[in-house]
Amino acid sequence: MMNATFPQVRIVPLRMLKPETAERLLNMLASITGIRRMMIHGPGLPKKVPYGPARGSPNPHSDRRAIHVGDAEIALRIAAGEVILEVEDASVIEEIRSLCDGFFTGFPYQLQEGRFMKTAPTLVDYAKYGPRADTMFIGLADPRNGEGPVLIRTER
Amino acid sequence: MAYKPQYGPGTSIVAANRRKQMNPGQKLEKVRSVTDEDIVLILGHRAPGSAYPSAHPPLAEQQEPNCPMRKLVKPTDGAKAGDRVRYIQFADSMFNAPSQPYQRTYTECYRFRGIDPGTLSGRQIVECRERDLEKYSKELIETEMFDPALVGIRGATVHGHSLRLAEDGMMFDMLQRDVLGADGIVKYVKNQIGEPLDRAVAVGKPMDQKWLKAHTTIFHSLVGTSYRDDTEYVEYIQRIHSLRTKYGFMPKEE
Repeated sequence: MMNATFPQVRIVPLRMLKPETAERLLNMLASITGIRRMMIHGPGLPKKVPYGPARGSPNPHSDRRAIHVGDAEIALRIAAGEVILEVEDASVIEEIRSLCDGFFTGFPYQLQEGRFMKTAPTLVDYAKYGPRADTMFIGLADPRNGEGPVLIRTER
Repeated sequence: MAYKPQYGPGTSIVAANRRKQMNPGQKLEKVRSVTDEDIVLILGHRAPGSAYPSAHPPLAEQQEPNCPMRKLVKPTDGAKAGDRVRYIQFADSMFNAPSQPYQRTYTECYRFRGIDPGTLSGRQIVECRERDLEKYSKELIETEMFDPALVGIRGATVHGHSLRLAEDGMMFDMLQRDVLGADGIVKYVKNQIGEPLDRAVAVGKPMDQKWLKAHTTIFHSLVGTSYRDDTEYVEYIQRIHSLRTKYGFMPKEE
C-alpha cells in the first residue's frame, strides 16, 4: 500500500482553463521538484454527441486537443477545471502557492489541501488491474478508459 | 376593484427584474436583432424557407365538433394551420444570466399562448406549434431575456448552468454550439441539438458585467445580489414554508 502521508493539494481556478492556459500552468508545475502525481480534472468533451437526436455524430470542439507538458504529449479530453497534485512534502506546497500566485493574475484561484486522489486500490482497481497493480498509477486514469497515465520527464 | 397581479415579492433589483419579465404589460427591452432565418437554423426543426410540415389539416378544412370551449378559445396561428409541435430549450448560467428556468416558465405563461413549458433545475424547454415557436423564440433571443455568453440554446446535452465559466466568459458547453469570435461576437456554429450549421449564426456580443448584474433574475451572493439581502423575499418564502409545513398536519378548527 502506498504511503498515505504524502500531502495532496488541489488548484481550483475561478474559470475553466483553455488548453493554452492549462498547458502553461502544467509546464510551470512540471518544473517544480517534488510533485509525485498530478491529475487534471473537469467536465468531458466527448468525441461524439452523447445524447439527443444527433447522438453518435462527430462533435468537433476546439478545446479538445493535444497539449505538451515537459517532453510528454497529453491528449486533453476535458475542459481543465482543476489540477490535483500529490507532493513529497509541505515545502513543495508553498512553492506551488508562490508560483500560482504569479500565474493567476486575470482571475483568482484556490489552493486547497486535503485528500483528493486515491492512495490505495479499491475493488474496481483490483478488478481492473489485478492484485499486483502499481499503486503509483492507482486513481490517475479512468479504469474504464484504455488510456493510461502519462509520464512527464522534465530537464532539471 | 379589479385584481392586479403582483407577480412576485421582493425589493431587490433581482425581484424587480423578475416582475418585469413576468408582467405582459411591460415591454421587454430589445437588445439585439436576429433574423427569422437565423432562428430557424438554430432551432434545426426545418430547413429555412421550406414549408411548415403539418400534423393535421388546417382547422378551417376540418369538421370541428360542436364544442363551447373551441368557440371560446381562439386558436394560435400554428394551431390554425395544423403545424407540428416543436421545441426550444435554454440553459442559463447561475452567474447572473438574465433569466432562469422557473422564471422563463412563469414569463412564458404570462406572455405567450398555446405553450407547454417544461422546467428543470438547469434548463427549460418550451413546446408549441412550429410557427408560434419561431415567433416566441425570436422574442426570447432578441430581448433582455438572453445573453449570448451566459444563455445557451441547447436541445440536448445541456450541462453547464452550474459550472464555472470559461476564461473568455462563456458558459461551458461540451458540444461547443456557440463560439466567441475574435471580433467579440458570439456565433452559433451548431444547431440546438449539436448538428453543424452550413453557416455560422451571429447572436451578438456578450453583455458586460454591469448590465448583467442590473438585469439578472437569479440571486447569487458571490457575483450578484445576495438572496438574504432581500428581506421581503425571505419573509415571503418563510411564510410559504411555514404554511405548507403546518398544512402537512391537516390542522382543523375546533
